[in-house]
Amino acid sequence: MIADLLAAVRRRAQAGDALWRREERTTLAFEAGRFKSAGTTEETGINLRVVKDGQVGVAGTTATDAAPDDLLARALASAALGESLDLTVPPASPLPHVPTYFEGAANASLNALIEVGQSLVARLSRDGCQVNVAIEREVSETEIANTAGAAGKYRATGVAVGVDVTRIAGDDVLMVYDQYVGADLPGAAELDALVDSVTTRLDLALTVALPPEGALPVIFTPVGLSAILLPLEQGLSGKAVLQGVSPLGEKLGTRVFDERFALTDDPLAAGRIGSRPCDDEGVPSRRLPLVEHGVVRGFVYDLETAARAKTTSTGHGRRGIFGKPRIAYSNLVVGADRKPSTETRVPGGGLAAELQNGLIVEDLIGVGQGNVMAGGFSHPVALAYRVERGEITGRVKDAAVAGNVYELLKKIGGFGSDGRWLGTRFAPSLLLEGVSVARR
Amino acid sequence: MKDRLRDALQSSRADYTEIRVERTWSSAVAFRGRRLEAATASEDVGGFVRALDKGCGWGVASFTSLDRLPAMVARATELSRAVRLDEPIRLAEVAPREADAVLDLDGDVRGVPLAEKKRLLEAYNGAMLAVGDRVVDTQASYHDEVSEVWYANSEGALIYQLRPEVVLSGTAIARRDGVIEKGLESIGYRKGWNAAQGREARFRTVAERAVALLDAPRVRGGTYPVVLDPELGGVFIHEAFGHLSEADFVYENPQAREMMTLGRRFGKPVLNVGDNGAAPGLRGTLPFDDEGTPTQDTALIKDGILVGRLHSRETAARLGERPTGNARALSFRHAPIVRMTNTYIAGGTGGSTFADLIRDIKLGVYACGAFGGQTLLENFSFTAAYGYMIRDGQVAELVKDVVLAGNLFQTLDRIERVAGDFQWNQMGGGCGKGGQFPLPVTEGAPHVRIEEALVGGDVPA
Repeated sequence: MIADLLAAVRRRAQAGDALWRREERTTLAFEAGRFKSAGTTEETGINLRVVKDGQVGVAGTTATDAAPDDLLARALASAALGESLDLTVPPASPLPHVPTYFEGAANASLNALIEVGQSLVARLSRDGCQVNVAIEREVSETEIANTAGAAGKYRATGVAVGVDVTRIAGDDVLMVYDQYVGADLPGAAELDALVDSVTTRLDLALTVALPPEGALPVIFTPVGLSAILLPLEQGLSGKAVLQGVSPLGEKLGTRVFDERFALTDDPLAAGRIGSRPCDDEGVPSRRLPLVEHGVVRGFVYDLETAARAKTTSTGHGRRGIFGKPRIAYSNLVVGADRKPSTETRVPGGGLAAELQNGLIVEDLIGVGQGNVMAGGFSHPVALAYRVERGEITGRVKDAAVAGNVYELLKKIGGFGSDGRWLGTRFAPSLLLEGVSVARR
Repeated sequence: MKDRLRDALQSSRADYTEIRVERTWSSAVAFRGRRLEAATASEDVGGFVRALDKGCGWGVASFTSLDRLPAMVARATELSRAVRLDEPIRLAEVAPREADAVLDLDGDVRGVPLAEKKRLLEAYNGAMLAVGDRVVDTQASYHDEVSEVWYANSEGALIYQLRPEVVLSGTAIARRDGVIEKGLESIGYRKGWNAAQGREARFRTVAERAVALLDAPRVRGGTYPVVLDPELGGVFIHEAFGHLSEADFVYENPQAREMMTLGRRFGKPVLNVGDNGAAPGLRGTLPFDDEGTPTQDTALIKDGILVGRLHSRETAARLGERPTGNARALSFRHAPIVRMTNTYIAGGTGGSTFADLIRDIKLGVYACGAFGGQTLLENFSFTAAYGYMIRDGQVAELVKDVVLAGNLFQTLDRIERVAGDFQWNQMGGGCGKGGQFPLPVTEGAPHVRIEEALVGGDVPA
């Protein structure tokens, strides 16, 4: 399919690359404990980029049965308007082996998936609570090739099982959510962990505690860490560095964080949905240290940003069917090693035992709003627990936490023993000191 | 196309079947700093089938290859039969319509060359950059589309809609040493090329504000009387209340239904809230929703009392209420779910002005614009783009990092005064729910005064 297209590109432009992707998705929804709907999605599309007279253009289509001329014409029209860029597509090179396709996930029958959902509903049901379960299984094929000879082709599977339990008592609304995400079907251990996680969090939340107030030690769980990591994810993007807006832009080789803090992008992690042999621009995958011992070690680049920054792509180009490739992480690993968790049941991974007075943040409201890049955050809690004298004493409502990520990560009070994957991120709980906690 | 839909429906063996087919032409231009990021034109085509067989749940199928339509009708029926239900899904009655609803294209964007769209955006981006050296980065984007949407169901509805849309947005980043601030503006209409003209001033203002915020202090955290400008007032009512009024939140949950009992007092008599999918020219406006139900102006809160909610055919049947035309899908890739359209707090009738609202506030916050908002049922957070302190009845210094957090019930009840200066916010962006983002919606409000609200920021020592 894309071979013909690239042959046409060679005739009418200097260079180009294309991505073809076919996805088939099966989705199941259990609403309020009832199996409510089953769905399927088939989507095929092509994204094409051309370099003509030193200018770059892109075009995409889902009308893949149409003649390639129309797509190429649109890409050339886009290039005719494009600003000049010395974009070189990479030559052929060997790709690492990484398992992305799991037969069990690909071949699981509709009935097998329904049984997973029904068993979760049965195990999570309790009086006064509404249980929703969503299951999604995706099977995809990807083909990437360019006019310089690089080519990649792989199949991938992905499974997501999300459960949420909502409890409404008067005007008090409590929502507890967790998910399994992996390239293969969840096994019994993974499903047990999911049920345990939701049940434990729900039980702990039934008691409501008065929020503390002031500058306090706060434990951010693997889920709660989103607000803390988002500024880093934005700031380590080569694009932000190139634009001069990243606070980390001039810190390469400088210690910015606690010396125990590390952050790695790992596209080769087995069984993870962010893993792939090459990125969507055909650049081979490799592990990339971003922060080591608190020192900034690198930024992520795609082909375009690398060309503009006069460096090489780190293999972080992601493309959809429409629009041009952009920078995206594969799997992000927080911490120096990917320690298997020993404590997943109680939130905080053992860190709470050392706190006299503090908070465990599981989930915040409004993450990603506001001026994220600068590192400042201020969010009401969605789910948080009070810690007093080493014990969790209940759920905290009507409180907000605020601080600056770059200040807080200079000194980390501790790493939890609850490291886990959450989608494409692996992290343990982190204890941060001096987080502003306000209450109403 | 209509014949293809009729044939496919006739082949269905399910009790109820509906089909949507969409063809969308879009173009997009983006600048980052002085550089053009991309100028592209795209075509997106696909279909969606939903089937409901007797005693079964929903079977849904979406696809990009229209040749697969008959096969996908069969597949959706098969999936429906895999979902066994004790209590059947019922759909509230809606008279099936045959209609062609062609919205005013207001200068068909398909006839405008991409180069001209690039020139327009370049000028707007230039207006931000011209503000000065402190503006270190900008992002400007132009997006337009025209969608043809066919909808047909086995009850006899057959509707063709032509929907235009144009969205402009600008972000200016100002920096001085380690301080980085952002200004954000977006403009969106269910209109065409003409609506995108003459917007330089709005882009310039964004960059000027980002620069001004470099010198602004963070607001001191605490509780204050807060006055929301119409933009933030609109975001507030959408986030804090609108989502709870979506009937899919309550229809399967007895406790939630109790919390949202019609007739419950939600606010003072000055508070009137509604959702109007039939208002002309707004982004959330549609002649028919994605189940073929005509849209309407639905009252949600009248004189402080909860009087209505937003429905799909399924939620309306379940609660014994009438469909309101709020079943919407982001695209053919998604099933319709209950969504807002154009949600508003009605302007006050007492003739109050903004000056009247702040006159007796000794120390308060005037919160303006919106970076975003999120709700978690009864708790919400929204981030103002900027704010001012109110001191002794006057607007005083500019402040930043104004994040409002609160509890819905307490906050709505603390709205004691509403000015008469209602306006719709013609913004871009959109609403997210159930993985469907960004769905075009509009919000509107007058200036609104909340007697007491929690404002995040530095914690007082």
